[in-house]
Amino acid sequence: MRASLACAIAVLGAGACGGGQTGVGVFGASWEDDGGKSIEEVRQRLAGTVITQGADVAVGVAGHGARLVGQPLAGGARWTYAHPIDSRPIVTGRVVVASGGGSLFALDALTGRPLWTRPTGGLALRGAGDDGTVTVATLANAAGAGSTLLAVGRDGSVLRQIERPVELGDPAVVGRLAFVPWGHQYVSVLDVSDGAEVGRVLLREKTSHAWTSGGGLYFGELGMFRFDEKIKDASHGGAHHLGLPARDLPGHPLLMRPGEETVRAIAGAADKIRLYARPTPVGAPLALDGGTFYATYFRLALGLSGDKAHLAWVHTHPSPLIGGAAAEGSLILCDDAGKITTLDGHTGATVGDPLDLGEPVESCTVQADGVHMAGAARDPGPLVQQIRTALADRDLEVGVGQTLLLRELAALPDESATDLLVQLATDPRTALGVLDEARTAIANRRTGARYLIAALDRHYDYLHDVLQPPPVGPIARALAAMNEKGAAPALAAHLLDPATSEKDVRDAAQALDVLATPAEAPALLRFFALYRDAPPTPEEIPEAVNAVAEALLRVGGPAASAVIDAAAREPATNPTVRAKVAALRDAAAAAGGGGTR
Amino acid sequence: MGAAAVVVVCGALVSGSVLAAGPGKARKPASAAPALPAEVLAKLKSEDMTEVRAGLDDVRLAGKDGASAVPQITALLRGGLPYPLAEAAIDTLGDVGSPDAPDVVAPYARHRDPKVRRAAIRALAKATGGGAVATSAPALRGALSDPDAQVRALAATGLGSLKAKVAVRDLFLALDHHVYEAAVSIGQLCDPADCDALVGRLGKIPFDVVTTGIDQLLFRPAAEVTDDQKIAVVDRVRDLGTRDANKFLKNVQGRWAKTGSVKVRREIDAAVMATMSSPGSDS
Repeated sequence: MRASLACAIAVLGAGACGGGQTGVGVFGASWEDDGGKSIEEVRQRLAGTVITQGADVAVGVAGHGARLVGQPLAGGARWTYAHPIDSRPIVTGRVVVASGGGSLFALDALTGRPLWTRPTGGLALRGAGDDGTVTVATLANAAGAGSTLLAVGRDGSVLRQIERPVELGDPAVVGRLAFVPWGHQYVSVLDVSDGAEVGRVLLREKTSHAWTSGGGLYFGELGMFRFDEKIKDASHGGAHHLGLPARDLPGHPLLMRPGEETVRAIAGAADKIRLYARPTPVGAPLALDGGTFYATYFRLALGLSGDKAHLAWVHTHPSPLIGGAAAEGSLILCDDAGKITTLDGHTGATVGDPLDLGEPVESCTVQADGVHMAGAARDPGPLVQQIRTALADRDLEVGVGQTLLLRELAALPDESATDLLVQLATDPRTALGVLDEARTAIANRRTGARYLIAALDRHYDYLHDVLQPPPVGPIARALAAMNEKGAAPALAAHLLDPATSEKDVRDAAQALDVLATPAEAPALLRFFALYRDAPPTPEEIPEAVNAVAEALLRVGGPAASAVIDAAAREPATNPTVRAKVAALRDAAAAAGGGGTR
Repeated sequence: MGAAAVVVVCGALVSGSVLAAGPGKARKPASAAPALPAEVLAKLKSEDMTEVRAGLDDVRLAGKDGASAVPQITALLRGGLPYPLAEAAIDTLGDVGSPDAPDVVAPYARHRDPKVRRAAIRALAKATGGGAVATSAPALRGALSDPDAQVRALAATGLGSLKAKVAVRDLFLALDHHVYEAAVSIGQLCDPADCDALVGRLGKIPFDVVTTGIDQLLFRPAAEVTDDQKIAVVDRVRDLGTRDANKFLKNVQGRWAKTGSVKVRREIDAAVMATMSSPGSDS
């Protein structure tokens, strides 16, 4: 191993040498699972240590990475700090830690007051934790592989500096003990005072973050492990763990990025497509706060149930959501316009007036540890209305999110959901993917027949700019399943409309086989005469003729039966149709109907 | 049973209601039509569709003399035919000019195959007789909204041929929806207010389109469009002061009948002179 005890004077400045040296065993690979003994000792050592409440603040990067702007969530004065920023600022405890211009620095999170600055030689900030007395930061080594851990006191003195050829994640600090995730599965506990690794825990799920929230300490990445009396059982899967229900969400959002990654100062897609969740307060059984977790997808924010990830609400935002945090009972979101919006975690209602970072921001980091919702909530309306608003958005960026919403809409039994699905399917502006989903959903509707029948009144009409016929096929299938006889006249009209697609004609004919009454017999006869000689392709037309023949035998009386009998013998009749009507005729004869059913 | 069998069944039991606009209407064959050779009628009764096609060709070649085959052709259409044969049968009815045609042909104006629809619109536009407008115009008006641009164009032209004045509003709507063939028909059918509305499209839709309609109205008899109205139209075109206006006016001037209105002729002459020096004019 290279000089792991060496003080990186050249990199971090002379002050680093003031820090103590660290034993070789820190982050060592030869460690064997101690069955939770050392982490339990750490827990006992911290018994009685109160985890300081973190600052509630939103911090944005603005001016093309030239400054930080901060806005306390409780509504205090906004602050600005001019400094080059080259990686994503981190809010931890009551400080903001950021890097840029070859230095690492910390600010008071609520005021923006500089606390200390250290040169980094260009190392990029990965993660940071702070307990009110000491800040521990992890940085990516310049060479690429390996990491540097730096512990800095409030006065800016370097208390500890450790370089290791392993990828360290995002640390937390409690009682001057640094909890440092690494190797995807370990959290090592370092005593900042002497650099010793005083404990380690092996976790059975990918872990790269340690953080404090609501007075508790947590480890995780995919989910959350709570540092409590069960943490000692972590290596055999006995720790308290909170996971999110599996759900295929648009853009495959992550709850946390891998903590070993350096995050760019400017927000990217992963910032706009994210999950947010907050554990219940310490003392309560570990669960999702409010039984809800959240997802963002560009300008959409979704509230999802913690058990099965069912959609509880959807909020459509005017500009892309680039950061946020789950607070107690609410979700606080920051957009690229620099506005900070609070949403009620249960309803998605906007609460109070938005706060403002004062200018557009390139990224935004929010910490919400103790903040509570304040202000009046605006009624977001029923879920169908919320989905309607989201789907009305023509922004292509939200298209995939709209597909998800459409599936949610399809699952709602409300008649108004049927109405909205029909509107979407007849709107020429609806994206193709959404249109396909809407058609599928309509076919499966079993409520809202009146909306479906009303939609059939619409026909293609070039002169009146009706260029998108209704989804006749899906509507026909739904109405047939509902046995809505009242739909038969409208379906018969579409059967004879050349603008109705072949598939829709077939579906309408098959529905009429169930729904037609004698009143539809003339239209059915007309269709049969026009298309009994149809070419083999598209095959939907002969299939439609077959269905119409069946319907005619049921409702057309002797005249229709005679026409069908004749068609069965006519060489020009489409062979498929001829075979079908011959079979129908034979079946009717066998049943004693004498050519009729 | 061949095609004729279906014809018989449909004729006997459905009484033409399958593909006829007026259910149960028994049409008499065209009277006083010279008889076609028996072999032609036999072809139309054949089970072999090639023979039927040949029979239709024979009837078409006979022109008006093919009228005696109309009952058989309409019966074929009522019972249904393969698409290409339906198209040929409808074209044949149109060429023969049967008064029976509109009832039978109208349903084909909504056929799924645009070629069949086009044939139906062509045939309906050729309908003659007192009831032609009443029978054919609804289908043609409906066809102005057809998904197929050629069907729309044929319908617009056909409404002019039919002299379906009831359709002028629809034709304007079509014109404003880029069915430019409507301009000619409007020019053929417009009353003074409608003619003004057509001229009012100058500058809003292409000049070459509007002038196809203006050309029609300028050459209509004075009983339909007065000289004063024509003069006003000529003045509107002259006021454009463009090369295209000059070319159009010169073209009208060249075709103005010697026996035509002298008053209008003078106005056209003056307008041509006035636009000679228009930008780009080659006068």
